[in-house]
Amino acid sequence: MSSIESDMQNYKELLSQYLQTRDEAILYQAEQFSKQSIQQNISPDEIVNVHYEALEEVMPNMGERVRDSFQFLIETMIAYGLAYQEHQVLREKQIELRSEIGVAANMQETLLKTTVPSDEKVDIGVKSVPAKEMNGDYHHFIKDEDGNIGIAIADVIGKGVPAAFCMSMIKFAMESFSENEINPQRVLDSLNRVVGRNVEEGMFVTMFYGFYDTTDHQFYYSSAGHEPCYILRYDTGEFEEIDAKGLLLGVSGEVSYEERQVDVRSGDLIILLTDGVTECRVDGRFIEQEEVLDIINQFAHLDAQGIVEGVFKYFERLQDFQLRDDFTLLVIKRKD
Amino acid sequence: MKGTLSSVVIKQEWDIVGARQAGRQVSQDLGFGSVDQARIATAISELARNIYLYTEEGEITFEEVRDIPKVGLKIIAQDQGPGIKDLSAVMRDGYSTSGGLGAGLPGVKRLMDHFDLESDENGTKVTAIKWAR
Amino acid sequence: MNLHIDDHLEQDVGVLKLSGEIDAYTAPQLKEKLLSLVEEKQKVEVDLLKVSYMDSTGLGVFISALKLSKEKGHEFKLVNLQENVYRLFNITGLNEVINIENTVEGEIT
Repeated sequence: MSSIESDMQNYKELLSQYLQTRDEAILYQAEQFSKQSIQQNISPDEIVNVHYEALEEVMPNMGERVRDSFQFLIETMIAYGLAYQEHQVLREKQIELRSEIGVAANMQETLLKTTVPSDEKVDIGVKSVPAKEMNGDYHHFIKDEDGNIGIAIADVIGKGVPAAFCMSMIKFAMESFSENEINPQRVLDSLNRVVGRNVEEGMFVTMFYGFYDTTDHQFYYSSAGHEPCYILRYDTGEFEEIDAKGLLLGVSGEVSYEERQVDVRSGDLIILLTDGVTECRVDGRFIEQEEVLDIINQFAHLDAQGIVEGVFKYFERLQDFQLRDDFTLLVIKRKD
Repeated sequence: MKGTLSSVVIKQEWDIVGARQAGRQVSQDLGFGSVDQARIATAISELARNIYLYTEEGEITFEEVRDIPKVGLKIIAQDQGPGIKDLSAVMRDGYSTSGGLGAGLPGVKRLMDHFDLESDENGTKVTAIKWAR
Repeated sequence: MNLHIDDHLEQDVGVLKLSGEIDAYTAPQLKEKLLSLVEEKQKVEVDLLKVSYMDSTGLGVFISALKLSKEKGHEFKLVNLQENVYRLFNITGLNEVINIENTVEGEIT
């Protein structure tokens, strides 16, 4: 309160000086005064009152009507003062919320962390970057006792915190499968039931599940409504689509997923991605699929991690460093 | 030490003005400055409007309170309406303002120095005190 | 870009003609209108002839409408999809569960 009183004295002096000199420097000080008042949470009605009281000292005979008009103005400003204070509180809450989301995003990152398997037969690279703080894309690796590798890539329709929750659920469901159960069709069949039971209306998940048999280099895969994936043939330099029919997870409990297989030859590159890669929009124009594949081709001579990093950097720059959607790109390169 | 100064029944919209007027009179008598008078009047408006909008009838009572050496005004708004189901929701910022209904109960709490709210299916009682500076 | 929704309502039939883009910003208004229509009308048809772009939020809206129509025993279908919009239904397997037609049924003015 004492600071208000000293400010009050200050305001009075400024006002009487200004009325005498009309000096711009004093107006500048008035500006400083208003900034200080904001810092001290002084509401607009209080400022009007300060002005009124200062005016009474500076112009003692201002008359009844002017005096009443100030009462009228103060009355009018009260609601603004309340709105201002509420705004302050909501702003603090927003800051608090944002920092909580930051913590949650970190937790999510830890929670969904998966180790890229190292293997002498295949080289795996992955890049997953959220558009906002929380990632609605997900990928997961599992290696069975024979050294075969299970790979999941998924995209939650919906973004932000709810999508992140949904992802965590899928992660725990996937971890409950034993290592010997990892065949793509069975994984998607049971995930479909989990998602259908537990996910709220209006949220859906696409997933591509692949199983790389490292003994005979067969890649088995199933898709639940996921973006088509590709294999880049080393000998011909051609891309082949690897896609299986299948409905999004969680829409209907009555579906079963088909499983297909592709023969992976030496130097071939398997490319799994989410629609954040193919749907990236630049200046209102969409990147065509061929363009995406073109870019991947440009980096294909690098090692697996080099490819995904290179492609990401390219698209990040193309979108002015502002991703519109979560981006996940995962590649598997057969070494020998 | 306290005593009832006046009370106003709220039934129709213009009773809100009557309550403001009565409140302004007692706050002038107790020596409140013009900003505080305006704040008290706004708080009374909010309380009276809640009674008018959500219940059949209610009453606003003004009491003088003393906590030596301070003098204050206690406003009690009481109704026999359906009560407020979720008290913490109505006390949350942005709950009533977002619907354009005004400052709401959090506003009253801000305008006054002390605020208390009790509500059940037999009605609602809001008690608020402002100390004269 | 915006989404414009034109409705043609009859006793038991509701037709929504959409033009523009369906994305996270425009989907909520479409959802509100579409779901209340599916709730009320025996037959609901959504004409996507003038929809140039749709993202996955749009899919969410149509899936909700599909579920509600099944619950209610009402008919729900999409007509006149642009190729890039149809692609999304095809990828997600929704073309197998949602009634999609290329011709407009009935008299529409």
